[in-house]
Amino acid sequence: MRTFNFYAPTALDEALELLRKTDGGRPIAGGTDLVVQMKEAATKFPHPSSIISLLLIPELNGIEFDESTGLRIGATSTMSDIADSADIREHYPSIAEGAGIVGSIQTMNMATVGGNLCNGAPSADTAPPFLVHDAEFVITGPNGRRSLPADEFFVGPGETALAPNELLVEVRVPAPADRSGSAYVRHTPRKQMDIAVVGVAAAVTLTNDDRIENIRIALGAVAPTPVRATKTETFLSGQPASDESFAEAAETAAAECNPISDVRGSAEFRRHLVGTLTKRMLERAANRARGG
Amino acid sequence: MAQETKTRDKAGDSEYTAVGKPTIRIEGVGKVTGQTKFADDLTFPHMLHAKVLGSPHAHARVKSVDTADARQHPGVEAVIAAADLPAYKMNPSNRRGVIFAVDEVLFQGQPIAAVLASDPHVAEEALALIKVEYEPLTAVTDPISAMEDGSPLVRSAISDVDRSEEKGHVTIDVEQEEAEGAPSNIASKINFSRGDVEAGFAEADCVVEQTWRSAMVHQSYIEPHATIADFDNSGELSVWTSTQAPFYVRDELCQTLGIHESKIRVTATEVGGGFGGKIFLTELITAALAIVVKRPVKYIMSRKEDMLAATPAPFAQVELKTGMKADGTLVALKARLIYDSGAFPGAPVMPGCLFVGGYYKCPNLHIEGFEVLTNKVSVGALRAPGAHNATHAIESHMDIMARELGLDPLEARMKNAVEEGDPLPSGQPYPRIGLKDCLRAISESDVWKRRREVEGQANRGVGVAIGGWIGGLQPASAIVGLNGDGTIDVTVGSADISGTNTSFQQIAAEVLNVPLSSVNVTTGDTKTAPYAGMSAGSKTTYTVGKAVKLAAEDAKRQMLDIAAQRFEASPDELSVADGKVHLDGDDDKVLTFARLGKMTTNFGARFAPVVGRGTMSTRKSAPGFSAQAAEVEIDPDTGAITVLGYAIVQDAGFAINPLSVEGQMQGGASQGLGIALSEEMKFDEEGRLLNANLLDYRLPTTRDLPPIETIIVEVPSEEGPYGARIIGEPSIVPGGATIANAVADAIGVRVTDIPITPERVLRALGKL
Ligand SMILES: Cc1cc2nc3c(=O)[nH]c(=O)nc-3n(C[C@H](O)[C@H](O)[C@H](O)COP(=O)(O)OP(=O)(O)OC[C@H]3O[C@@H](n4cnc5c(N)ncnc54)[C@H](O)[C@@H]3O)c2cc1C
Repeated sequence: MRTFNFYAPTALDEALELLRKTDGGRPIAGGTDLVVQMKEAATKFPHPSSIISLLLIPELNGIEFDESTGLRIGATSTMSDIADSADIREHYPSIAEGAGIVGSIQTMNMATVGGNLCNGAPSADTAPPFLVHDAEFVITGPNGRRSLPADEFFVGPGETALAPNELLVEVRVPAPADRSGSAYVRHTPRKQMDIAVVGVAAAVTLTNDDRIENIRIALGAVAPTPVRATKTETFLSGQPASDESFAEAAETAAAECNPISDVRGSAEFRRHLVGTLTKRMLERAANRARGG
Repeated sequence: MAQETKTRDKAGDSEYTAVGKPTIRIEGVGKVTGQTKFADDLTFPHMLHAKVLGSPHAHARVKSVDTADARQHPGVEAVIAAADLPAYKMNPSNRRGVIFAVDEVLFQGQPIAAVLASDPHVAEEALALIKVEYEPLTAVTDPISAMEDGSPLVRSAISDVDRSEEKGHVTIDVEQEEAEGAPSNIASKINFSRGDVEAGFAEADCVVEQTWRSAMVHQSYIEPHATIADFDNSGELSVWTSTQAPFYVRDELCQTLGIHESKIRVTATEVGGGFGGKIFLTELITAALAIVVKRPVKYIMSRKEDMLAATPAPFAQVELKTGMKADGTLVALKARLIYDSGAFPGAPVMPGCLFVGGYYKCPNLHIEGFEVLTNKVSVGALRAPGAHNATHAIESHMDIMARELGLDPLEARMKNAVEEGDPLPSGQPYPRIGLKDCLRAISESDVWKRRREVEGQANRGVGVAIGGWIGGLQPASAIVGLNGDGTIDVTVGSADISGTNTSFQQIAAEVLNVPLSSVNVTTGDTKTAPYAGMSAGSKTTYTVGKAVKLAAEDAKRQMLDIAAQRFEASPDELSVADGKVHLDGDDDKVLTFARLGKMTTNFGARFAPVVGRGTMSTRKSAPGFSAQAAEVEIDPDTGAITVLGYAIVQDAGFAINPLSVEGQMQGGASQGLGIALSEEMKFDEEGRLLNANLLDYRLPTTRDLPPIETIIVEVPSEEGPYGARIIGEPSIVPGGATIANAVADAIGVRVTDIPITPERVLRALGKL
């Protein structure tokens, strides 16, 4: 690692000001992505001259839930905070599942949700859950505040819709309707300390006669960004929540995704996993929607 | 000869008071509480940090190295490339005899130049300012096609191949046909033959022919390579380094740098994991840099450098054909083994050839081995180097043949297993060994007994395999001294990488009949410690332990002599107990060790100090065997493999410290599971490593490992202390085959490559 300056502002304005003043300064939260990248810097990654910690800024922290307005997760909430939150476990189980498998206990105690999303990895484990829960990302920067739906936030590998010197403030997630359930799973070669070869999240709302009223499916690590499986969603809308429709949805999802081959798995293998895991997550989400 | 076998009961009851008892490792508390000082914890006045620039290409001509800009970088003290070093006695055919690439780089990560600065971050920044002009050459990456006539060449021809390091791991007289001076990528060949192999196949009722591959894997010790060197004005070179082999480091430095062994002091710092990979690597470059700047220089490899440019274990392809008669008799074995050596010779193809045909009596065999060069990092030892690759093949065959013939896989093994007197493929007869005892014990393990229950359950399976290791041999010595307060000091020259110093403490306490707390063991540096071989080849307890026993016996003799003079008795009438020398039958005639200590160290003392000396050398190895069993469950839709249970049996000869022995068994089994399931260094077609980190190079984590049942059997060796035999290495050998057999049992098809990844399982199942 090379030398750099370190700042720890205690107010959001101060952080924005530091980002502006320190040309090439970079926000840091838990550092579990950034520090690794800085260590490997030499060629791949422009080594920041300054890093600005977000951890002492109260406005970026905290998790609140309200039955009518939904959930607010501050950007510097850690994966442990999220995975341990009773409200999130109850109303947004896929988000708890995504946060609860990041690295190891040590990683989860450091890693923040803001870092996970802003790092822009196609494999980020909280991204598919937020996509299926129609999350909104609240952003602030030199030109004021704005808000973006989750599926407009991810732009490419390592790239997000954040403009230079913008910060993610919080994630807002609407309250789920009755008879809703969600689930997230990933395939990794190891049982912990790993990165998704494929991640699949699903959220369903069922009618009283067990038809699919609302459906979201999101896939991680099979495209340059986390993506929704929109064709599969369209296919499933209005279908009965049955084995047959889930099996067909699995095939549709496998067909519509477009993974690449790399050191973590071949495109063929990923496509197969998308099918298998989509089916499993639909079943799990539907069960939860039924109160199971 | 009748063999005595017993499965050690955990309480360790025996006729002994110290050896054979579970004993907490001396250095354990420091390691788990963070107090141990590793090489990187040491710092010296005026010390500089070295950062090394490695080649981005696997094969290229180095046209120029321009260090001018890097030298100008503020804070940089020196930038050193090949041209800045004196003309040392380099050996371009020997990885250990090369510092920087000169005209040609042969693997990605090969050192080109180094920057020295007081601040390591400054040194790292300056690396980017070194300008190297490369002319890329064809990178030869596949050892199989590299063997063909007309393949592009990996490098200029090799000569003067030095196999001393390999001999430290396995010591046996076998001729290796060196392809020296020839324009070929085949560095060496080995050939073993016995009987008439074709006639053997004609006799067989079941013939199986299959090609098996095992990936290149990395030792992945927690602590990367770490060395500090200092060259002072008197011409003495001091080296503190994370090595298993302090005397070997000294000898190698002497050879290349031309400094007398008596002028080199090598201190083996506490090793944060070695597994065969910490023999000699960063010492030469660090010493050479320190000699240039005449200041202490510290070089700590980053994880990435260590993954790219240390000495991992080879990829191997084993083409095996075996034949068995309906009654389970193995009648013929034909094998061709190809080991990828990387850019320098040193692949353990010889042990591979020995073990592919060395576990079972087989009247007809023909084994050919090839050590092939490629433009990859050159390989070294990893715990029983070369054995797991060959074992994966032969132990898979034993299972397939038994299954086809309707035989019990353990009985088929038992029927053919080698015993004392049976020849290795090279012709040498085995000494007394405990292979059959291991097979008997594994049949009693909980995992193997579950086989009946698991049978018939879809996607569940149980598998078994064996493995062994011969071990290395080197002379050893030890000193045991009596201090003025009656405590005992043991001094050895072997690095303690596996709890050996604790075993030495037990041995000395046993001989002198004192509590463990009275015995202190020190690993000295190469100037103060008595000579010991490298802590590799599982030989440390077997050889140095023997020397400690002899030294303690010598010290005891000296103490008895003094007491005899004092009591005007004969030494035969004396004995030691509770830290005292007693005259038998006379309770008043007692001399405490503390008194004896004073009598031999005080001003004007009448007696000379008690200094026991033990030296040993043997040509007799004490091979160790292990049998292992696994229960697995496969998810047929994702290919995921869960290891539900694992059992390991090992013949320890005599477990001086059963706790350490079990630790070695569990550690080796865990590494074997990594090799079986997830560890693989992957290269692209240009020879660049795709996973130079511990995320995409996957060691098993605690959650990936099953509970491991350990069963020690004890078939005493002929020469080891109290019958101890080699311990450290056999445990890693059978893992790949054990899992392969369990997976085949679960899904009914064979995955022929290890690691057996989910993707390979799905392919074998025809789902991809
Ligand atoms: C051992 C280990 C295991 C891991 N396992 C997983 C895993 O299982 N799943 C997974 O998805 N990831 C994993 N990761 C990656 C990483 O832990 C997560 O992505 C984590 O959530 C990143 O959060 P952080 O707070 O550490 O981010 P940092 O490293 O601090 O920052 C990451 C990036 O986001 C930017 N950033 C951070 N916060 C903000 C903000 N509020 N506004 C704007 N930009 C911001 C930073 O500038 C940086 O570019 C692992 C990492 C390690 C080291």
